[in-house]
Order: sequence, then structure tokens, then C-alpha cells
Amino acid sequence: MSGAQQTLAILKPHVVKNPFSLSRIKNIILNANFKIVHLKRKTIDLREAEAFYGEHKGKFFYNRLVTFMTSGPCELMILTKENAIQEWRQLMGPTKVFRAQFEAPDSLRGQFGLSDTRNATHGSDSPESAMKEIEIFFPEFRLETVINF
Amino acid sequence: MSKNLRQLVLPSNFLRFSKRYLHGPKRKYPVNKEEAKKLPVFQYPVSKSSYRRVFAWGNIHTGALGIPYTDKEQRPDHTHFIKYPKRITFGEKHEVTTAACGFGFTVFAVNSQDENKVYGMGINTDSQIGYHEVRHGHPLEIIFIPKPIHLPFKNPVESKVLKVSAGRAHLAILTDEGLFTLGNNAYGQCGRKIIPEENYTMSNYIHHISDVEGENIIDVECGQDHSLILTEKGKVYSCGWGADGQTGLGHYDNAPEFTRVKGDIEGENIVKFASRSDFVLAVNDKGEVFGWGNTEYGQLTLSDGSQQVATPTHMKILEQVGKVKSVASGGSFCLAVNEDGQVFTWGYGLLGVGPNAQQSREPIHIPDTLFGRNDFQPNSRVEEVVCGLFNAAAVTNLGDLYAWGRNKNCCLGLGNDKDQYFPLKVSLGGFVKKMYCGVDHCIAVCEPFCM
Repeated sequence: MSGAQQTLAILKPHVVKNPFSLSRIKNIILNANFKIVHLKRKTIDLREAEAFYGEHKGKFFYNRLVTFMTSGPCELMILTKENAIQEWRQLMGPTKVFRAQFEAPDSLRGQFGLSDTRNATHGSDSPESAMKEIEIFFPEFRLETVINF
Repeated sequence: MSKNLRQLVLPSNFLRFSKRYLHGPKRKYPVNKEEAKKLPVFQYPVSKSSYRRVFAWGNIHTGALGIPYTDKEQRPDHTHFIKYPKRITFGEKHEVTTAACGFGFTVFAVNSQDENKVYGMGINTDSQIGYHEVRHGHPLEIIFIPKPIHLPFKNPVESKVLKVSAGRAHLAILTDEGLFTLGNNAYGQCGRKIIPEENYTMSNYIHHISDVEGENIIDVECGQDHSLILTEKGKVYSCGWGADGQTGLGHYDNAPEFTRVKGDIEGENIVKFASRSDFVLAVNDKGEVFGWGNTEYGQLTLSDGSQQVATPTHMKILEQVGKVKSVASGGSFCLAVNEDGQVFTWGYGLLGVGPNAQQSREPIHIPDTLFGRNDFQPNSRVEEVVCGLFNAAAVTNLGDLYAWGRNKNCCLGLGNDKDQYFPLKVSLGGFVKKMYCGVDHCIAVCEPFCM
């Protein structure tokens, strides 16, 4: 698995509550040749969400992002593949759902997003932030386990 | 002379048939006209006035259409989506008075002689259509056939359900005994205190609100994650998620209790409101429109360029369209109907006036011809507009339904899965009375043509 990259993917609360969307998204992930290294379902608490979205603090949507992410259980996943970060973001599509549904109707957000905040999925944007985000939700994760896999 | 003329103009093979048209069909037993007058005139059978036809279309997987989803292996006629309106049997067995479409679930209110007044089907992961279990401690997450929701009525047999409204994962049922709310309460959208880490899947709790500040509730509307109620004096109360200002309470926090909405609507008599997504439109008795909540796509037509408004604001730009009778708010666009039945649209998306997604801060008039006003039916006028998140629909006084917008999971009912750029008539076997849009399915409650 040399050259493989890890990224943190989050399926947001409204998707987790819809069994139909959840199974469709998981199928899409596996069909795109991603490997799910770790998966857990948990409700993100306020402290974690504030650490997670620290970069957006002060923007007008910060409050709604944090209250939305803490509103119910999320599915947290570590995905691995070559060039995983870039490809996962490609699969997700543009952030804004109301624009994504016209610009990339086949992307995950275009299909399963309900509004700009409830945009179905999250993905890390760079290797550094991926490591930082994985550290927040999977403190027990060790990269060697994946490399030896 | 006319016969000669006909011979000149018409080809000869047509002439052979034209005799039949001139003299009528050849009868074995000729009709005696005197005798025919004496025969009694029979009344063709008519339907009961309470009878309704219920049509559903869209996504079948969630169970919201009441049609069991089958595996491809099990059934050869297996489908993912219902592309045309399908008459569902629930409407034949029960007297459906009103319905509501949530995000992947449907609720029907019926006029019945027994205790079952409300039925629900679809996704039930937040117990939004009641607690149904197969065995103790194992609730059903998806329900494919309509199941009764048992409400804690004081008088279960004689109570009446006035309106039901469904949000993303919560449900509000307005009855003559007050308001019942159930489902997800993570933001306080059920009008009760937020309990951290509450397990909604296992929840059997139905919240009851008999009145607000001594006034009866006459209308209820659920947004995605907030709720609004209207009292008999035209006051609006709201609760739930306020992160976009959609509660209209002047702040951006969650409101776990129904609180009076003030701002520009404080002294006004509100008669109608609409909210499908994260913003609200309200109409007062003078036909003026007020809005609050998210306006990232210019839904509230503000001039200062702000993205969120937490206090109700009078939308002055809508004065040019005349007295507004009905409004609808979708995910990123709005619709309004004025007294003359003309439809106006603004916001962002497939607005129904062209082949591209477009943004408009000014109300655009969708031509009346597209809603069936022509020389053959000059009286056709739009009575009501309804919005899903990405699609829109209009109901006319002639009982016709027009749909346009994003065709997510065939939710427009036009027989294809392509987006519709202008209003197009949906073929429905009934006189449409009420139309309900969910996120990927729709329900129409119709009357039969012959009453």
C-alpha cells in the first residue's frame, strides 16, 4: 500500500438518519475503490466540533455548521486509496448543494445534499488537515497499521 | 348544389364514409323518437362528496409512497422510482382529509369512525411517524405500508385532525384538542426542551401543546428543522433551529419552546405562511409578504446583501405584483400567486422561465399560458403553489397540476427523469384539490371528476 493516502470522511447526521441514502453512499464509496480503514458512528460533541471547524470561526455559517454537526450521530470513516484526498473531494462535489445539483448532479452532494449546510459529506482538504482531523476523532489510529496491511 | 360542391372538393374515398356521417349510424332496430321521449332518464352514478383519490409518485425506496419495495430478483416489475402519478389504495379505503410529505415519509389524516386518525409511512429513524416495533425493543426504521399513529387524545373517537405538517425528521399534527409533535427534537423543533444525546429511534414520546398564551392554534407549518404555528388572532410563534434566523426571534440560537415572532409582523394579522427549507414567507390579510431566515440566494430580496435575517422583514419589492394570495418557499427560490392567479418567482435555481439555473432578486412573472390560460379555458388561474426543496408545483382552479424544477428521483411525475425548465401539466386522473411536496416524492389529494 505504498503511496496510499488517508482522508477523513464524515457522513453528516441527516444522511445517517436515512438508511436508503446511507447504503447508496457506502456503495458509491466502495465502487470507487476506496478502502474503509476505520468506521465508527458517534455523536460529535460541541468541543470536538469547535476544534474541527476552528478555521471557520468568525464566519457567518460557523454557528449553524457546529449546531448541525452536533445534532445527531455521524458516521466517521478513514478512507484510503492512492490520491485519496483529491479523489474523495472529486466524488463529493462542490460544497454548496444548491449549486452542486446543477454543476455536478452525479456527485454525492448533488444527490444527497438537502441544503448548503446539510451537504451530506465532509472530506479533508490537504494531507496536513487530514492528519489533524483523524487525530481529533481517531486518536488510537496508527498509520503503520495501514502501511503493513 | 352543396352535394356537387362536395364532390368537387373531397376525394372519392372520403365520400364513401361521409354518407354515414350525414345520415347517422345504421341501426338494426330504428329508434322511435316518440317512444324515446317517454323513457325514464337515469342518473349516472356519482361519487360521494367525501371521496378522495390519492396519487403518489417519486422515490419508492424510502417507503413514503406506501408501495413495498421489491428486490430485482423477487419481482420482474421491480422499479426504483414511480415516474407517473400512481393511485394508491390507501385513498380508496380511507377518507383522506389532509396529508403531509416529510423528507422520505408521508402522513395522512383521515376522517374515521375509530381511534385511528393519522397514518404514517416511510422513514421512521427518529420515530417521526410514531413508535412501531416488531418485537420489544426493536423499532422499525422504515415502514412500507400506512400504519396508524396513536395520539394521546382525550376523546379518541370524536377528535378531528385539522392539519398535518412534516419537516425533515419531525411531525406536527394539529387537532381540535391542540397540537401534537413527535420526532427529532435535536434543535427543539418539537417545542420541548432539548435533551442531549436523546435516542429518538427508541422514543415513544408525543408532545402535546393545547394552546399558546391562551389562544387556539389554527395553522402549523414545519420547515426543515423548525416549526411555526399561527394563532386565531394572526400571531406567529416559532421554535427549533435558528442558525439561519429561520425562527425569526432576533437571534441565531435554538429555540426549544414556541416563542412569539415579532419584528415587522408584530401588529399584522398573518393568514398564511410557508417554509420548506431554512427561510419563511408569511402573508398578512392585506396581501403583503414578510420574510425571514436564510437569504444566501436572494430569496428575501434584501438590498443590503446580508445572508441571514433573524427578524421578520417586509418585502417591499413584492408590492409590484399586487395582492399576494399564496406563497411557497423552496430550498433556494420562492413562489407567489396574486389575486389574478399570476405566478411570480425569484431566488436561485430552475425558476421555470428558461433552460438554465438562474438567479433573480426581482420577481419574474411566469407566463399564464404555461399554466393553461388560453382561448379554450380563459378562466384558468393558479390557486395555490407548493414547493419541494428543488422542485415546484402549481394547482389551478380547474384541478390541473403543473410541475417544474429538478426532477430528483422522478418527483415531478412527468414520466421521465429529466429536469423540467418550465411548468408542464402532470397527467392525473382526478381534480387536484391539494398538493404536497417532499424532497423526493409528492402526494396529490384529488376529487373524482364526477361528483
